[in-house]
Amino acid sequence: MNYIKSFVKGTEDAMPSGAETVGRLCDRVSSSTLLDDRRDAVRALKSLSKKYRVEVGSQALPHLIEVLRSDSNDDEIIAYALETLFNLSTIDVDDEGDMVAQPETILTFIESFIAVTENVILALNMIEKDSFAARWAAVRLLTSLLRGKPNELQQIILIMPMGISRVMDLLAESREVIRNDALLALIELTRGNSNIQKIVAFENGFESIFNIIREEGSSDGGVVVEDCLLLLLHLLKSNTSNQQFFKEGSLIQHLTPFFDIDPESPWSAQKNANFHLMLKVIRTLVSPSNPSNMTSSCQLAMQHCLLLRKLSDLLMATGIPTDILTETINTVSELIRGCNENQQYFASVMAPWDPPRPALVVLLMSMVNAQQPFQLRCAVLYCFQCFLHKNAMGQSQIISTLLPSSLEPQDVSVGQLLCGGLFSVSDSLTNWLAATALSHALRSNNDAKHQLLRVQLATAPGNPPITLIRQITNIVHQTTFLQTRVGLLCLLCGWLTNCPVAVSHFLDNSTTVSFLLSQVAENGTDLEFVMHGVCALLLGICIIDNDGSVSQYTKESLIELIVARVGIERFCDALNCVPQHDIYTKALQKPQPSADEPDHLLLNHTFAKLFKTQEDVIIKTVSNLEDVKKEEEVKAAMKAHDSIVNEYKTLIREQDSKLEAFKGKCNKLEADLTSSASLLSERDAQVQQLKDQYNLLKLTQGTSGDETTAVMTKRIDDLNQQIIAKDNELKSCQQTISELKAQGDVKLSENPSADEKSQKDIISMQQELNRLSITLKEKEEELAKMTNASTSAVVQQADAASDALIAEKVAMQSQLADSKHKLDCAVVEKNQIKEENASLKQKLAEAENQIEELQKTASEHVAKYIESNSVCETIKKEQDDLLILLSDQEEKLSTYKKKLRGLGAEVSSDEGEDEYEGGDLNEEESETNNVNGEGA
Amino acid sequence: MNPNNDTEPYDYLFKIVLIGDAGVGKTCIVQRFKSGVWVESQASTIGVDFCMKSCEVNGKKIKLQVWDTAGQERFRTITQSYYRSANGVVCAFDLTRQSTFLNVEKWMNDVSKFCEENVSKLLIGNKCDLTEERAVSREECAKVGSYYSVVDYIETSAKDNTNIEASFIKLATVLLEKHSSSNLQQEPNTVFGLGSRTKPVKSTCC
Repeated sequence: MNYIKSFVKGTEDAMPSGAETVGRLCDRVSSSTLLDDRRDAVRALKSLSKKYRVEVGSQALPHLIEVLRSDSNDDEIIAYALETLFNLSTIDVDDEGDMVAQPETILTFIESFIAVTENVILALNMIEKDSFAARWAAVRLLTSLLRGKPNELQQIILIMPMGISRVMDLLAESREVIRNDALLALIELTRGNSNIQKIVAFENGFESIFNIIREEGSSDGGVVVEDCLLLLLHLLKSNTSNQQFFKEGSLIQHLTPFFDIDPESPWSAQKNANFHLMLKVIRTLVSPSNPSNMTSSCQLAMQHCLLLRKLSDLLMATGIPTDILTETINTVSELIRGCNENQQYFASVMAPWDPPRPALVVLLMSMVNAQQPFQLRCAVLYCFQCFLHKNAMGQSQIISTLLPSSLEPQDVSVGQLLCGGLFSVSDSLTNWLAATALSHALRSNNDAKHQLLRVQLATAPGNPPITLIRQITNIVHQTTFLQTRVGLLCLLCGWLTNCPVAVSHFLDNSTTVSFLLSQVAENGTDLEFVMHGVCALLLGICIIDNDGSVSQYTKESLIELIVARVGIERFCDALNCVPQHDIYTKALQKPQPSADEPDHLLLNHTFAKLFKTQEDVIIKTVSNLEDVKKEEEVKAAMKAHDSIVNEYKTLIREQDSKLEAFKGKCNKLEADLTSSASLLSERDAQVQQLKDQYNLLKLTQGTSGDETTAVMTKRIDDLNQQIIAKDNELKSCQQTISELKAQGDVKLSENPSADEKSQKDIISMQQELNRLSITLKEKEEELAKMTNASTSAVVQQADAASDALIAEKVAMQSQLADSKHKLDCAVVEKNQIKEENASLKQKLAEAENQIEELQKTASEHVAKYIESNSVCETIKKEQDDLLILLSDQEEKLSTYKKKLRGLGAEVSSDEGEDEYEGGDLNEEESETNNVNGEGA
Repeated sequence: MNPNNDTEPYDYLFKIVLIGDAGVGKTCIVQRFKSGVWVESQASTIGVDFCMKSCEVNGKKIKLQVWDTAGQERFRTITQSYYRSANGVVCAFDLTRQSTFLNVEKWMNDVSKFCEENVSKLLIGNKCDLTEERAVSREECAKVGSYYSVVDYIETSAKDNTNIEASFIKLATVLLEKHSSSNLQQEPNTVFGLGSRTKPVKSTCC
């Protein structure tokens, strides 16, 4: 405790009596056995503590601690002790002006107090005292300690079990004085410590705060509301977890009632302060520096709980103090920034004017009005900027109000206001704000940049209309205001970036480049240097985004001009000047435009970002003309190569598809071929079968026919022989008969007695003879018949044998007829077979024809196939060549890249793409190989 | 996650604190419960993370505020601050590491020291998918659970999504019963009570 001793030594001489008194009192506190005595002594120390801070601080601390430890049952002495400690640790200006405490003295005391952690625990325990005085003093002591040594005390309280919870309990304290002081303690406790902030949130801190705010009358409430809002701000600021808790705990909707303001109630200073803090709370939740998903979800939540509407209403309300209005505009800006739903809502907000006008127009009217306060105008610009942030539709709508087609003379449009602002001659800030606003309408929107090139302006009556870009260029030349010039130059920079068409429009004016060059070459004041840097950047953009369409100012010729007129070094210096300037760093920090003085508003956030990205590229490009040329060549070569490669690629693709088609065709033909071959073999088999059948038939037919004929002939011969035999028989029979006649005649003559008998016999014999002759006749007839029927065989006589013969003959005849019939049938059959055979032969011939045809087509297919194979072969060859070419290319490319890298240029690392392309090619190659394999 | 999740009205809001040794998988459990994903490697939690999830139990819309505490010893003092206002405590241990199971005693002592007396406790044995490496028997765990009069002992696996949601729903159901019977019902869409603050804090001075 050397430092305490040093204080004692240093002040002893100055205040001897004070030190002595304090010493005596300390003795009493430590030695007296009576509580009353000790209490009196502590009270005396308390009364001395303000006047003799150093003395009391150095001597009484251990005794006071002891009192806290051992006399904790007596609320009064505890209260005195705590108050003494509070006095000793509080930096305040004495009302009487007697003595202003030295911050060092107090810090020393606080250090010695918190050096022992137990002291803090003792003090903290006292906030649970029911006694008002003790509790109140303890809370205030805590606040003072926190103010003196925030980090140390936060750590001590954080590791104390329930340390924070106990302070939180005080927010529910019915004695408002204590509750209000607890708020102050919590404000200090949560300052910059996210762990404590989280615990407070866990302990329903947000709810308690909202309860107090409600109880205290919301926005119309007093300083307590302000304290609550400050605590709320501490809990949310840079604490993503608590912000999330706040949002997910549906607490955002608790903010809305705050803005239910009574239009009658006056805007007191307190209300002003409350409002400012509340708006800050909202901005903390939707700050552009928060994680974007966080911001956007909060933005949507605020729109859904009508907070955005309330704030928009506030914007259009009357009687709002300017500073509140300004801050409200800023808040609304961040509420809609990059959130499409909110932007659309904002675009639909109408000012309660007659006739109603869009809020955006009304706000812009304030922006281009030189009478309005500077901060308000900046806020409107910010609002406009946020409205267009990531809002391409809004951008094109704004640009379209500038285009001649949509101009409605009686209606004030955004475009009119901006144009008016751009060319206002009296106020350079108006020019700057309008130019910056317009540049936001163009940001990252090439379509808008092209549209804006179409804009024509009617200058003076009688003069031809002039394009906007030309008019802006003219003003850049003519104006005497630095701010106007820088604003317009920044607008041009934004306009020309990534828009070669705009660059060529801009360069079309022959005086422009020389003007810019002369500016870069000039010396000037601090701020003028910034302007020269912007000129240099504009020149650089003209080089980088130059498509060579203005022959006078191509990339190379511009660089050569710079080299000739100002020198590369000077040019780079001019560029380097800008980032070193405060204005630039300030602009780069955050999107919201801000400046201490209106004159210092030269660069905006978007431009600063643009500058940051372009600066290096420009310096690199400009400082190496040779490289630029080479690069151009390389680019051209690469482009050419690219186009060749592309050509080949398309060729390969075409060929591939053709090949595919051929393959398909080939497959089809093959299938056809096999099917026809099988058909053919089938036919062959059929034909063979038929042939066999035919042969068989022929064979059977041949033998059976011949046999039958032979049998027939033989039979006929037999029959003829039989007939001859019968003839012979018949002759012998006739002989016998004539012999018998002769015999009978003899007999008749020989024996007349027996004549009658013999007569009778003769008669009977004659009868018999007659009968016989009849039979014979019959037989003869029959025989004649038979002879007629057979080959001229005549049967003269008949008897029993002849009967049989005849019967046999008849049978034979029938048999003959039968066989004849059979023969006929066979002949018919033969004919049929012959016919069939002929038709089969015909069919066979047909089939043979067909086979021939098929063979022909097959050979055709084979020829085609061979042809496609050869095509395929050539493709493969071409492809191989191409691959070699490609690999050459790649090698070249990589050497160029290497070279470029060696030269320090940024080479877009599209290696992945290269690889991908390589992979693609390989794939194609393998495909071709497959085809070949199949072909082989 | 439903983007309008945070604006949905709810009938009850319960604060649940998740405690247990480092590396038992508390953050994985919360991740699984909140967004249904499982991330193999989690960085150690620093201090406390929180998440909210709405669910429906017995027809009541319940919003669960889950406070995922750091298990490491050095955050012990910070995480203890979260015990007092908790409605429910989930104490997790790793079924494959006996030490984490033995430390349940330590955690439960903290709970009885800092939490409200009637706080609902749930014991969770995590990593039940690693059956081969299991170091503690189910009976033992259940016994310890009933010793500390937890509402239930549940074995879970954040990796396999086993019983994760069921655990929280179980706890929510118990809390719902407790609060609807003790007439602590909230007006719809108001935040959970200030009533919890009335209990005097136990003195911890030495």
